[in-house]
Amino acid sequence: MTLNFLIAPDFSPERFAGWHMLNTLLQRRSGVQLHLLTPASPAEQAAALAQDKVDVVYANPFDAADMVRDKGYVPFARPAGRFDEMVIATGSNSSLQKLEDIQPGSRIALTDNKDVRLIGLRLLEPADLNESLIEWVPVDSFQAAARLAIKGEVEASFFLAEAYASLTRLTRSQLRVLVESRISDISHVLLAHPRIAGELPRISQALLGIGQQRGDSDVLEALGLPKGFEPMTQEEAEFMIDLMDTLLD
Amino acid sequence: MQLPDMIRPSAEAAESRLHYTDGTSRTVFATEVEVPFPEGRLIVSRTDLQGFITHANDAFVELSGWERGELIGMPHHILRHPDMPRVAFQGLWDTIKEGKKWHGYVKNLRKDGSYYWVYATAVPNIRNGQIAGYTSVRRKPSRTRINELIPVYRQWLAQEQGNTAP
Repeated sequence: MTLNFLIAPDFSPERFAGWHMLNTLLQRRSGVQLHLLTPASPAEQAAALAQDKVDVVYANPFDAADMVRDKGYVPFARPAGRFDEMVIATGSNSSLQKLEDIQPGSRIALTDNKDVRLIGLRLLEPADLNESLIEWVPVDSFQAAARLAIKGEVEASFFLAEAYASLTRLTRSQLRVLVESRISDISHVLLAHPRIAGELPRISQALLGIGQQRGDSDVLEALGLPKGFEPMTQEEAEFMIDLMDTLLD
Repeated sequence: MQLPDMIRPSAEAAESRLHYTDGTSRTVFATEVEVPFPEGRLIVSRTDLQGFITHANDAFVELSGWERGELIGMPHHILRHPDMPRVAFQGLWDTIKEGKKWHGYVKNLRKDGSYYWVYATAVPNIRNGQIAGYTSVRRKPSRTRINELIPVYRQWLAQEQGNTAP
């Protein structure tokens, strides 16, 4: 039997090979056949979940809430020392110097990334800005968000912090960070469908062990997760979901 | 739980006697020093059903001025500032005990008598259909909203003190 392993579509394109390397290693060490699903968009991910064909998922924290509480997925791991943070940046030539300089009616570029949007909205609150006071400019990628900010076509852009850090040095030199979140409590999570309870211990053990053998660091570096993975309990996931709940409004 | 009285800080400070809902009271000293909410961060704490702190994140420890070991096991009202009227918290416990979310702007007292403003959200931790504790997350508030609320809180506080005056 082959299980489907879905990766949330918000990883940087250069990590694509890393996820395939991880999947290969996981199969070899767990003895469980895994078919990697890499949906290109949240809509594709939602479609795969709706068809009930996802057995293991590397979920963003926003989606994890529904998957754990409504669909019964079981949390078992998360990236070690890697939290989901976001950046609000403007073009380096912009007159904006701080978050409070963003005025109602300003244009902000953002990707279809729910947790970035949610955290970003909360960071805008001290500037007396809410969702309805911003002209949102949807973009397909963080690179596109950067281009619009650099060209001055938007006053600011929202980025996943990891994606911002992976922009080229030249691109970052043309941007100015207005604020970066330092929440340190919200991360992606690995979840398993309850129907694979029999296979989960082998998958979990294999995943958590990555980093202990020679060559593992190549895989983890390719993933951008140099510290590998750490166990996550049901209660730790529930706590994170409660925290996300406080950020919804 | 009886909290010890605060030690008078070296800076000029107003002395107050706070009375808590558990029947205890303590003397606090409040200075006019405001500590800014750190950019981009969230203050996170959890309590048990009785309101005793069971978890404090780094931002909470740093901004409160207490050590983590001093906070854990203490009642959450250790943060209560004498400028906060009781009515501002009215409904907090009623709301979260009903399994609902509560929001409010709160002026908190630091260990050294200085203060910080937050926009607080509290949610019940529902596990297996039962409330197992509470999570409170505080984020950077709107200064505009605080400035609107300061006179309101001051008026409410005056009314409460008038009502309890001998």
